[in-house]
Amino acid sequence: MPLNFVVALKQIPNPDLQFAVAPGGKDIKRETLNYKTNGSDDYALEAAVRLKEKHGGRVVAVTVGPKRAESMLREALAKGADEAVRVSYEDVGGYDVGKTARVLAAAVKTIPHDLVLTGVQSDDLVDSATGALVAGILGLPHVSVVTRIEVQGTGLEVWSELEGGLSRRYALALPALASVQFGANVPRYAPLPAIMKASRQPIKEIAPAALGVANWDAIATPYRFSVRRLSPPDAKGHATMIQGSADEQAKALAKMLREKGFVRR
Amino acid sequence: MGNDILVVAEHMEGKLAPSTLELVAKGRDLAAQSGGAVKAALLGSGAGALAQSLAAYGIEVLHVDDPSLVEYSDGAYGQAVRALVDHVAPRVVLVAHTAQGYDLAPGLAGAADLPLVSNCVDVRLEGGTLVATRRVLNEKIQGEFEVASDRPYVVTLRPGSVKPAEPAAGGQVTPAPVAVDASKVRTKFLALERPQVSDIDLAAADVIVSAGRGIQKKENLALVEEFAKALGGVVGASRPLTDMEWLPKTRQVGQSGKTVRPKLYVACGISGAMQHVAGMKDSGLIVAINTDPSAPIFEVAHVGIVGNVLQILPLVLKDLKG
Ligand SMILES: Cc1cc2nc3c(=O)[nH]c(=O)nc-3n(C[C@H](O)[C@H](O)[C@H](O)COP(=O)(O)OP(=O)(O)OC[C@H]3O[C@@H](n4cnc5c(N)ncnc54)[C@H](O)[C@@H]3O)c2cc1C
Ligand SMILES: Nc1ncnc2c1ncn2[C@@H]1O[C@H](COP(=O)(O)O)[C@@H](O)[C@H]1O
Repeated sequence: MPLNFVVALKQIPNPDLQFAVAPGGKDIKRETLNYKTNGSDDYALEAAVRLKEKHGGRVVAVTVGPKRAESMLREALAKGADEAVRVSYEDVGGYDVGKTARVLAAAVKTIPHDLVLTGVQSDDLVDSATGALVAGILGLPHVSVVTRIEVQGTGLEVWSELEGGLSRRYALALPALASVQFGANVPRYAPLPAIMKASRQPIKEIAPAALGVANWDAIATPYRFSVRRLSPPDAKGHATMIQGSADEQAKALAKMLREKGFVRR
Repeated sequence: MGNDILVVAEHMEGKLAPSTLELVAKGRDLAAQSGGAVKAALLGSGAGALAQSLAAYGIEVLHVDDPSLVEYSDGAYGQAVRALVDHVAPRVVLVAHTAQGYDLAPGLAGAADLPLVSNCVDVRLEGGTLVATRRVLNEKIQGEFEVASDRPYVVTLRPGSVKPAEPAAGGQVTPAPVAVDASKVRTKFLALERPQVSDIDLAAADVIVSAGRGIQKKENLALVEEFAKALGGVVGASRPLTDMEWLPKTRQVGQSGKTVRPKLYVACGISGAMQHVAGMKDSGLIVAINTDPSAPIFEVAHVGIVGNVLQILPLVLKDLKG
C-alpha cells in the first residue's frame, strides 16, 4: 500500500551552546549560533523513509522557517525524502507554538498526506505540542511518542511510549499523524552521491499566496501572544563547584568520596 | 465563559498519576486568581473508586465512565474532553506534561481552536491574561510568555514543578453528561505492553554512576564501569546511550526509564534534560562532571566539576587506588 508521507522538520540552535538574552529581553542573541536538525526529527524522517522503502510511496520533508533551514532540507533529500518544502513564515524566536502549528497545518493541507510525522519535541523550545496541534487542526487521528510503526491492512499499528518504559499499542486509521520518539530507529547517514544530487534539487517555497491568504497574519490564532521577558533561569539550587586544574578537581573529588565512605577498600 | 479551572486527571493500572495531584495544587492557585473553583475530569471505564479517591482532595470530580475510555486514546479521550470543556466552559484546562499530556492537550487545543501553552514550570492569571513561565534551550533560558484570549486556556504543567495537593474536605463525584461515539474513534487502543526485564535492578543500587553522551564513545564505558566498581556501584545511563544500545534499556535513568534514589549518583557527561532529571533528582548526593558550565545538571547536582570526564575519571581512579 503506497503512502504519502509528510515529515515536519525543524532546524534548531545547537543545544550544547551557551545562550545569552538579547538586549530588550525578547529573544536570545543569535549572531554566533550554529544550527542543526532537531534530534527527534531525524527519527521521524528515517521512519518515513523506511516505510516508503517497504511499502512504496513518497516522502515530502517540510519546514516552517528561514532560508538557512534549506541546508537541513537538502540533508533530508539526501537521506531519502523525495521532495522538500520550506514554508516561508519566519518568526525568529518561534516561541508561539500555536501560530507555527497553524501555519504548518495550512501548508500540510496543500500536500497529499496519508501519514504526517513530526518529532516528539523540538529540543530548543520543548513544547511537545506541534504534532498533536496540527492533527487537531486538520482533524487527523494522532498518537504521540511513537517508537514503532507497522502497516496493518488499510491502517497502521503504532506503539506509544509512556513513563517508565511502558507502551500502549494502537490501531490508527489513515490519514493520521504520529510524533516520533528518540531511538525509534537508527537514522542513516546520507551517502555522498545522494548529497551531491540533493545539492542540485529544487526546494519548493510556500508563501502565503500558495495557501490562499494575503499574508501570514491572515492565518489567525484565537489569542494574542507575546514574549514578556527572557532571562537566565532562576535556579532552585546550584552545585558547589570544585575548582582548579583537572588534577586538583580529581583529588578533591576522591577525597570527598573517601570521607563520605563511598570508596570500596 | 466561566472562571473554573478544569484539571484533567491521569491514571494507569488503577492508580492516579502523581502529576494529577500537582495539577490540583496549581489549579487551586489559578482558581484563587480567577474567582472560580477547581474541577477535575476523570475519564475511565469502571474507575469510580479512583474518582472517589480524587474527590478526597476537596474538589468536584466530573466522572465520565465509558468502556472506550479504559485506556487513553486520542479518539475516545479527545471526544470526551472536548465535550467536558464545552460543558464546564473553564477559564483554564490543566493537563500534565506527560507522554499522555503531549497528545491530549495540543490535540484538544487544535481541534477546539483554543490557546495552548505547554511544558510550563509555572503559570498564573493576571486579570484575563495567562502568564506562563517556561524553560527553553536546554534549560539555559527561562521565559515569561503572555497569552490573552477569552477562550479557555489549555496549559500543560511540567511534572515536579509544584508540591502535590493535600487531602481536603468538601469534594464530591458528579457523573458528567458526556458520551463517546465509538463509531467516530479512529485511534483504537489495543494493548498495554511492558518491557521484559532480565538485568540488575538499578533502583536497588546504593551507588549509581551514569554515563551520558558526553562520554563520546562506547569504549569509554569501560572507564565509567571501573569507576562504578571502585565505589561498589552500578552503571546507569542517559537515554541516548540505551537508544544506541551501548547499554541495555534497563540501565536508563529518567522519565521513560527508571526512577532511582541512590545514596550517590554521579552524572558523567549528562546535560540534565528534564526527562533525565525526573528520574534521579531525589538521589542523596549528586555529583556532576560536565564540560559545559551552563549545563542544567549543575542545577540539581550538589557537587559539580566543570571538566572533561575522560580526563577527570582516570585521575580520580588513580587517586583512589594510590
Ligand atoms: C518523552 C521523552 C522521554 C525521555 N526520557 C528520557 C529518560 O528516561 N532518560 C534520559 O536520560 N533522557 C530521556 N529523554 C531524552 C532527553 O530529553 C535528553 O535528550 C537526554 O537526557 C540527553 O542525554 P545526555 O545528557 O546524555 O546527552 P546531551 O544532552 O547530548 O548531553 C551531553 C552532555 O555532555 C557534555 N559533554 C560533552 N563532552 C564531555 C566530556 N568530554 N566530558 C564531560 N562532559 C561532556 C555536554 O556539555 C552535554 O551537556 C526523553 C525525551 C523525551 C522526549
Ligand atoms: N518550525 C517548524 N517547522 C517544521 N516542523 C516543526 C517546526 N516546529 C516544530 N516542528 C515539528 O514539531 C515537532 C515538535 O516540536 P515542539 O512542539 O516545538 O516540541 C518537532 O520535532 C518538529 O517535527
